[in-house]
Amino acid sequence: MGPDGGPGDDGDGPPHRLELERADGSGTTTVTARAAETVLEAAERADTHIPFGCRTGACATCTAELLSGTVEHRREPRALKPRHREAGYVLTCIAVPTADCRLRVGSDVAGELTENPWR
Amino acid sequence: MNSTGHDSGTEHAHHDHDHDHEGPGYTTPQAAIEESEPEELAYVMGLYVGTDIDAPDFLAVVDLDPDSATYAEVVDRVEMPNRGDELHHFGWNACSSSCHVGGLERRHLVIPGQRSSRIHVVDTKDRRDPELEQIIEPEEVFEEDLSAPHTVHCIPGGQIVLSMLGDPDGELPGGFLELDESDFSIDGRWDPPGEIEMNYDFWYQPRRNVMVSTEWAAPETYYPGFDLDDVEAGKYGRQLHIWNWEEKTVEQTIDLGEEGMIPLEVRFLHSPVSTHGFVGAALSSNVFNFHQVETTPGDGPGRYAAEKVIDIEAREHEDWDMPVPGLVTDLLVSMDDRYLFFSNWLHGDVRMYDVSDPMNPRFVDRIWAGGHFGPDHPIEGERKVVGGPQMLQLSLDGERLYWTTSLFSSWDEQFYPEEGELGSVMLKADVDPRRGSMTLDEEFLVDFGEMPAGPARAHEIRWPDGDCTSDVWQ
Ligand code: FES
Repeated sequence: MGPDGGPGDDGDGPPHRLELERADGSGTTTVTARAAETVLEAAERADTHIPFGCRTGACATCTAELLSGTVEHRREPRALKPRHREAGYVLTCIAVPTADCRLRVGSDVAGELTENPWR
Repeated sequence: MNSTGHDSGTEHAHHDHDHDHEGPGYTTPQAAIEESEPEELAYVMGLYVGTDIDAPDFLAVVDLDPDSATYAEVVDRVEMPNRGDELHHFGWNACSSSCHVGGLERRHLVIPGQRSSRIHVVDTKDRRDPELEQIIEPEEVFEEDLSAPHTVHCIPGGQIVLSMLGDPDGELPGGFLELDESDFSIDGRWDPPGEIEMNYDFWYQPRRNVMVSTEWAAPETYYPGFDLDDVEAGKYGRQLHIWNWEEKTVEQTIDLGEEGMIPLEVRFLHSPVSTHGFVGAALSSNVFNFHQVETTPGDGPGRYAAEKVIDIEAREHEDWDMPVPGLVTDLLVSMDDRYLFFSNWLHGDVRMYDVSDPMNPRFVDRIWAGGHFGPDHPIEGERKVVGGPQMLQLSLDGERLYWTTSLFSSWDEQFYPEEGELGSVMLKADVDPRRGSMTLDEEFLVDFGEMPAGPARAHEIRWPDGDCTSDVWQ
């Protein structure tokens, strides 16, 4: 358990390094995810803002693009369609890293899931 | 400072006129028209959800007093404690439906988060400086097997009912949640589970023992944005549900068909004896009238029929591959039941129809402002308007129509990506009910692009003394 261990840090499995690259080009932040912690939880613990809404995997507000590494969704990522998952999108509110990861984050990423269908 | 000669509003929590009723609101719609003072402030939802701005959504207090130095400005903001809510629609703890109930005050705003399922209660005792009083956390809502709160109506007897669009996973079915007005605790589900699948807006007419509810989609479907594949897969609604108000059961479901895709806001006429109402089918861009066509034995709501009465033609746009639908996203009826107003969010106009004969609405006027066909700068010299007319609110006397431009954060991003960067506006038209005309008020523009944390979206509008979309009469 690291020095910042607390409730929710159950200590099994190593922490993972998460590089959060801002989709709007404003920079990259590195945070550490404890075992069993989601990307969103790790970011919040480090006071790093990334967008979210429902926190249950239904709304896609928290969508990120997984650039490297692996995550496991805690539950069915219902807001993502198969084509989104195949394209590498993940939901940070329910995505638990299983390796060091690099993710593209920010509201622009969720905006890539849908487009104006008439245009 | 009070140059208009009436109470500037910080102290009085309800209007002070001579009536013999004890409760909140007005005894009749006509009393609301005659006894109300012009609105001096508006409460407007302001939001940051889904943007990179690190701030929670807020309730904005907008100064509507033309004699005030801060006219058309956001003079106060109540920040919610959490980010990610998507504050959307909201309502009062009590309205004219309880005007016979002594001790009740129209004082608390119930403000749900559409995405978070968190419900906030704001005390407006001091109208210009409202305070967050209480919060119902999402987990408590999920325990009732519901999520995604939408419309809030106070109902007679000190209860508050919210339409809920999904289950805790953001899937179907939705239902209704009941709160106790005395302590804003969850009372449980209002409806027996299993009556409906999809839910959205609702309006009730207690004297007719009827409620009508509409359909959007499952939260997991509409939250991420609009996808035509979901329409083709039948994931969007097109039905109206006619409820027995007392029994809380669906007596009839009306399928509006292809012409009634995504029926959103629903409004009965204000007269408590009328069975006529209107619903806007957003995607098909039509307005339907519904009304009772048959009484049935007993005291049920009877049988209703719905009929398309206004059809908005899609329009060719040089930058679009397919004709642009109007997208009727909000509508309301004036307190005297004479006029229907609605917004075409994609086209960019707000329309006014004479509905004296509710089966045969007659177009009387419209205003173009923003949207894909209206002027970018409807007021010369003022900021650019992105987004079209969306949520509407009308003064009780029917002479001032206000609107904002944001629909839903993810849908805004799709259809008006610039709105997230520039923020919404609130605009106003002066309405002449006698002539049946509207004029854009060039002196009034509230710029939600200028909020301290950054540009915000603006959504639903309410004012303290009742409005045309929250009051119901027994
Ligand atoms: S916050 Fe809604 S899907 Fe992650």
